[in-house]
Amino acid sequence: MVNVTLKVNGETRSASVPPETTLLRLLRDQFNLTGAKLGCDVGDCGACTVIVDSKPVNSCLMLVGQVEGREVLTIEGLANADHLHPLQKLFEHFGSLQCGFCGPGVIISAKALLDENPDPSTEEIRDALGGNLCRCTGYTKMIEAIKGASCILRGEEVPAVKSA
Amino acid sequence: MKSFEFFAAKDSNDALTLLAQHAANAKVKIIAGGTDLLADLKFAAHGPDVVVDISRADDLKNITITEQGLSIGALVTHTQIMRSPLIRQMFPALVAAAHTIGAVQTRNLGTLGGNLVTAVPSMDSGPTLMALEAMVTIAGNGGRRQVPLSEFFVGPRKTILKPDELLVDIIIPEQNLGKPTHFLKFGLRKGQALALVNVAASVWVDWEKHAFLAPRIALGAVAPKVIRAPQAEAYLEGRTISPEAMAEAGRIAVGDAKPISDFRASAEYRRHLVAVLTKRALESAWALAQTRRLEGSNGKRNA
Ligand code: FES
Ligand code: FES
Repeated sequence: MVNVTLKVNGETRSASVPPETTLLRLLRDQFNLTGAKLGCDVGDCGACTVIVDSKPVNSCLMLVGQVEGREVLTIEGLANADHLHPLQKLFEHFGSLQCGFCGPGVIISAKALLDENPDPSTEEIRDALGGNLCRCTGYTKMIEAIKGASCILRGEEVPAVKSA
Repeated sequence: MKSFEFFAAKDSNDALTLLAQHAANAKVKIIAGGTDLLADLKFAAHGPDVVVDISRADDLKNITITEQGLSIGALVTHTQIMRSPLIRQMFPALVAAAHTIGAVQTRNLGTLGGNLVTAVPSMDSGPTLMALEAMVTIAGNGGRRQVPLSEFFVGPRKTILKPDELLVDIIIPEQNLGKPTHFLKFGLRKGQALALVNVAASVWVDWEKHAFLAPRIALGAVAPKVIRAPQAEAYLEGRTISPEAMAEAGRIAVGDAKPISDFRASAEYRRHLVAVLTKRALESAWALAQTRRLEGSNGKRNA
């Protein structure tokens, strides 16, 4: 067993788990944080994306022993019941998701992008979402929502949306 | 995933000690970024007995100029390569190659050393480094050795690393610092695609004779390991620079490649790609040489 202590969404959490446990399993099975999804389990789909020490990573590709002492942000840390992050608000507003399975990963990737680049171009947004597979949507409305959220976070007004 | 014992190394010396302790009587795997290793282990019938984590070995995360050349620590991530001011200035080709690997999440985890050690023939880090005649430093409990990257690869997923050895850094030799280089990858999608073929070309220019000097061409995904294209290089050496010469070098490079057919592409298609990509990589390396000359920069760092 490996004893691991780390910060998850600002709170210090500990667990004792087998060494082959991934960060994703730790979050889901031990901490009951099921926002990050288990999709492919091999780093292709991005459904498990979380932020570790300010960088988005695939939580299915990290072993618990590698996250000892690190800071993790999951989708649950972005908002609470009565306060949504601007990204979440605009994903809702634009209808950016359909089944929603990819959503937590996409929003975490977008959050990491906006943290670093407050005014990304469409190309930069596409690049940032390159590791998040969505089988339902065509990404268009996600990109609109991310642009909109970037405006809000910069304190500007969200430009009027072209309706389909 | 099969269970294993897990040890976290504090630095590279600690890692070597752990390897010395365990490699003789157990199957040991080193984990760095984990992007290849964990994806493999989840499907492996027989996993390692021991996993040594080197992801905290900060002494392997530096990008520095030494008297030997540009040293890139084995644990430098693809994201770090893309953001390094030094690499961006000297070798945009390395930045381009890093950008074609996986996606943001895997580039944040995956390391240059890991990409090389995994030794997949279509790896995107290999060709540019081979075209720049990179050396690698290998540490073992008996000391350190350096070998050309071209001798580091043995075959698909095979390198010369012994079980108790560690890849420490990758060195682009001093004489090649700032050498105009270009990398091209052809995949079936823009993101997260394996290369059908990838190519890198580096050239110095004899401006008086308007001729190529020390042209180097490296090809990926067309042989059991990343290879150089010696016939194409020999053809270009000292030859007057012209579009025809670069196109001919592309055709000759096809003879240096030994591609196979698989579900991603036929050997014939890969041969076609070798000719086209080699020509284009040469053209772009030549264009970069001209730009740098106009700007009066040699691509080296201004002190
Ligand atoms: S579950 Fe981690 S990338 Fe798919
Ligand atoms: S909304 Fe269904 S996978 Fe993206």
